[in-house]
Amino acid sequence: MHKKDKMNSFSLPFSIFKLHPKALLLEWNQKPSQKLLIEIITFKAELENKLKEISQITVGYHSLLIEWNKKNLSKDFLFSTLSIIYFSIDFKKPNSNRHWKIPVCYEGEFAQDLEWLSQKLNLSPKQVIEIHSRGLYWVCFIGFLPGFLYLDGLDSKLFFPRKNRPILKVPRGSVAIGGNQTGIYPEISPGGWHIIGKTPVVLFNPNKKPYCFAKSGDTLSFKAISIIEFKNIENKIIEGSFKLT
Amino acid sequence: MIEIINSGFYTSVQDKGRIGFKNFGVPISGAMDQQSFSWANRLLNNLTNSAVLEMSFKGPKICFHEDTFIAITGAFMDPKLNGFSLEMNKPIGIKKMDILQFGNAISGSRTYLSVLGGLQTQKILGSRSQFKGITTIERISKRTVIPIKKLSFNLFKGAVIKHTMMNFDKNILTAYEGPEFNLLPENIKHQLSFQKFHLSHLNNRMGYQLKEKITIKLPQIWTAPVLPGTVQCTPEGKLIILMQDAQVTGGYSRLLQLDDEAINCLAQKGTNDLLQFRIKKLT
Repeated sequence: MHKKDKMNSFSLPFSIFKLHPKALLLEWNQKPSQKLLIEIITFKAELENKLKEISQITVGYHSLLIEWNKKNLSKDFLFSTLSIIYFSIDFKKPNSNRHWKIPVCYEGEFAQDLEWLSQKLNLSPKQVIEIHSRGLYWVCFIGFLPGFLYLDGLDSKLFFPRKNRPILKVPRGSVAIGGNQTGIYPEISPGGWHIIGKTPVVLFNPNKKPYCFAKSGDTLSFKAISIIEFKNIENKIIEGSFKLT
Repeated sequence: MIEIINSGFYTSVQDKGRIGFKNFGVPISGAMDQQSFSWANRLLNNLTNSAVLEMSFKGPKICFHEDTFIAITGAFMDPKLNGFSLEMNKPIGIKKMDILQFGNAISGSRTYLSVLGGLQTQKILGSRSQFKGITTIERISKRTVIPIKKLSFNLFKGAVIKHTMMNFDKNILTAYEGPEFNLLPENIKHQLSFQKFHLSHLNNRMGYQLKEKITIKLPQIWTAPVLPGTVQCTPEGKLIILMQDAQVTGGYSRLLQLDDEAINCLAQKGTNDLLQFRIKKLT
């Protein structure tokens, strides 16, 4: 019995939980990290390639939700299939992840909470901008709103609790800090994070592929731009001549 | 086409929903009561994913600008065609300039109106279900005009199913144990199984909050994927049941997961309605 338990703990690094007759939740028993994220999305791609029954797989910080079309597949079948696929993967293979430079204007009305937040953090607004735009961020997954990127990698000097009362209309493109996270609001929405800037970049367009430029596993950094540059990029986006790199 | 003269309380175009776009953060959407939705289409021999009108709590007033056939399923909203009471759950022939009017929901909360061939609104990411930021129109308002298919044959061949009126009084919801269920002490597990809960006024297509709280401190979890029917518990002990328009990931503990039939049942509930969970283990 003891031996078998040990075998199991060595066999797969995640637990398998049947959430719904047609959905299986895999949760890794470790803290989210970049290494784990790469493992999760590599595994996801392989499952999508090899299991035709799957209708969609959704990524979380340390989890995958697998949904399928057919009726109730047996847990044993899924367990053995998942094991075979997991152990056939070469996790060291280089992946096709990209890096994106997001232009952000950290000035004026675009940065409504910057002054206040800087004071609370005992930093100057300039320092906050410097630290925020120096960072390298990982796109963990997209959730909350269409095109809302969950980013990992915020400098702990910028950690600050969310607002007690969310505001009703955070402007589209707002770049904000909440808790230990930073993010970009893809649409006007209610939100409790502190707004420090705005990007003219479109995060989500349901009418144009690839809908959202970024995907899980990509990296991203912010580049400070002036209001004039902001307007220029905005015009180029309207003309269709802007290309994000 | 059909013209909306007034919109009712909350009316939107819905189908089965948007499948396969969760990794862009796009909710599934789709009809809240998938059972009534599917009956509405089957009564007209429509394709199973044809778009219908979903009406909540109070229905709209509609003018038809061409001949067609319709069917009405779900909650009873006392539908009237040109002022005369209309039967539900069967195909009805419609003439140009007919006026269809709905009242308040008397039993149940959501009514479905299917039209022969399905509503022909904008299809985005594989679905016509209306959702803010995805479809141009997020819900039906006064004077909205909805294109429908031209009636190309006169002989009508629908009405293939017979079913008894749905009973919306049922309030037992079958639920499976969620990933954090086992963190609960026995008394809370017992409470979830035996207490009756009231639906609060905070209920919409995204989720339903229950009035009664549970007293427990649960750890926040790492944001993870959720489904319609996931019963979440906030740090203050509030219980929130996610529905079709819910966001695709969540950071609250997941205590239970409703089965599909329970979601259909819940979709027909409204403020102050009583609910009870019947908790099952999934094997």
